Amino acid sequence: MPLDQELKIVFAGPMGAGKTTAIRAISDIPPVSTEVENNDRAACGKESTTVALDYGQLLLEDGTAVRLYGTPGQDRFSFMWEILCRGAMGVVLLIDGSSATAVADLRTYAENFHRLNPSQPLVIGVGRTADADGRQLDEYVRVLTSRGIVAPVFNVDVRQRADVLLLIETLLCILEAQLPEANHAAS
Amino acid sequence: MQPPSQRFAADILQATRRHLAELVAANTEITLALVTSADGFEVAAQPDLPVAQRISAMSSSLQALSEAIAREAGLSRSRNLIIETENGTIVVLGIPDTSPRLSLAVVATGNEILGRLLWATRSCCAALGQSLQV
Repeated sequence: MPLDQELKIVFAGPMGAGKTTAIRAISDIPPVSTEVENNDRAACGKESTTVALDYGQLLLEDGTAVRLYGTPGQDRFSFMWEILCRGAMGVVLLIDGSSATAVADLRTYAENFHRLNPSQPLVIGVGRTADADGRQLDEYVRVLTSRGIVAPVFNVDVRQRADVLLLIETLLCILEAQLPEANHAAS
Repeated sequence: MQPPSQRFAADILQATRRHLAELVAANTEITLALVTSADGFEVAAQPDLPVAQRISAMSSSLQALSEAIAREAGLSRSRNLIIETENGTIVVLGIPDTSPRLSLAVVATGNEILGRLLWATRSCCAALGQSLQV
């Protein structure tokens, strides 16, 4: 991987989409967590919520170190989104496909993170779907395209290391594909 | 966003408002004092400024980060967090033995002496902890 020796990738998405779980699934170190008691059970039934960041590390086979940062999902922590996206090579956006607000969440979070850095590649992972024929994912692609955002969308189970690695590897492929263009522009 | 009156019990709101009003009245260099839940919701603020909601979320993030750093360094739970700037100071302290877990965040002008501010805010936390004891 001729990209860099160290990469920073951000995991974003609404509360309960699985950002903390995804980082736990692939991190080579015990992740740094800032979870506290969730007092907003109306918005999400889970007991705890991330209020600052999650941090994990992943060493790829070629020796590239990937620093993994998870954002808090709630809008009131949007100041952390901006801070964590500084210097990031790409964003993995996780969406809870079983949520009634899944499409709206996709729209909101994809737009917000695209706005923070339009050149930053975005990969979407949709969890908890019963989407055997891929229709739900097709709809998500249409939503993104209508907003001028090009991003691959995958069905994932963020508890599965292989699924989360697929998202990371896709992001790295996009970055690699962008390299010749970047080199050309620099010359 | 739900107002604090719908999110927190009336006795919590009443006690926090009273203690914050006493703290600000006794310390004229304090420009904002607020009580926030660990997950960043404003419980009460004195004065009730629009920026209090945002500072509530930020202070809960900072407190969680300071606790994570203390953990990583093998230290015990962080007692307070101090941000000193050229023209003022921010102190964030955990309020003991409350459910939900609450914190006090205070913004003071540069004229306030840090030791005095810490003494006043720690006393306020102790009093709040006693009033809100589980």
